[in-house]
Amino acid sequence: MKVFSNTETFNYSWEEVSAANWRKYCPWNEKSTHVIAVDTISRSVDPATGILRTERLITCRQAAPEWLKSMMGGGLDESQVFETSYVDPKTKTVTMVSTNITFSNLLNVQETVVYSPLSAHQTKFYQEAQITALAGGWQRIKNSIEDTLVKRFRENAAKGKEGFESVLAMSRHVFAEEREKEKMGLIREQAGNIRMAA
Amino acid sequence: MSQSLAKECNELKERYDTCFLKWYSEKYLRGTGTEQNNECSQLFKQYSSCLQVALKERGIDKLLDEAREELKDSDSTYMSKKKS
Repeated sequence: MKVFSNTETFNYSWEEVSAANWRKYCPWNEKSTHVIAVDTISRSVDPATGILRTERLITCRQAAPEWLKSMMGGGLDESQVFETSYVDPKTKTVTMVSTNITFSNLLNVQETVVYSPLSAHQTKFYQEAQITALAGGWQRIKNSIEDTLVKRFRENAAKGKEGFESVLAMSRHVFAEEREKEKMGLIREQAGNIRMAA
Repeated sequence: MSQSLAKECNELKERYDTCFLKWYSEKYLRGTGTEQNNECSQLFKQYSSCLQVALKERGIDKLLDEAREELKDSDSTYMSKKKS
């Protein structure tokens, strides 16, 4: 088993980050083109804790190294991940746990991501992935598979940070525009009322 | 917004996602969106019934059950502990 971990800081409030997190893989994020679909399987609010629990299916397309493809018999270009996430608005924590559902008999990748506030304007991102190759009798082959995936995680982490930054910036921009529109609507309405009263 | 793995569900997904995002930032994060049934429930039902068919067709439903079983410990780690 190999472990990959990574910590990042985003200069946005936890509320902004946790909201933008739902649209992390949208066209605003040009760096995450490997994610081609995100589907919500179930969603509920736990009445006892107020925690929002969500199950999602994430479909990725990413070219695998040729040697790995030949070992696993092709079809490795598209893979799927099942994710369960928990939003606790009281402790201001988002926790996302995910596991691969494609090739789960050959390898197991379990990832945990946590978003928590550092201050009113800063949010910490922590990511940890445990990668275990189950296939093949030879330790040398297992090690190569694990190393390849760790390398892939490292590459995606750098792209992920950059991509999410652009989603955050875009979200803030759109949110400000919407607030402005609402305000203008309200002013127009008030003006209308005044006119009517006069 | 991101796509659905089933093209035929994209429109229903888009409608639900838009509703959810609004509910999440305007109600849930402000502590007023805790009810199980909300303005997005009906939209979710429509999207979900489309998606379930697609998952079954692709045989993903069974894989999802296995993955859910694998992650079931996280429910107790991240939910029940917080009750105290």
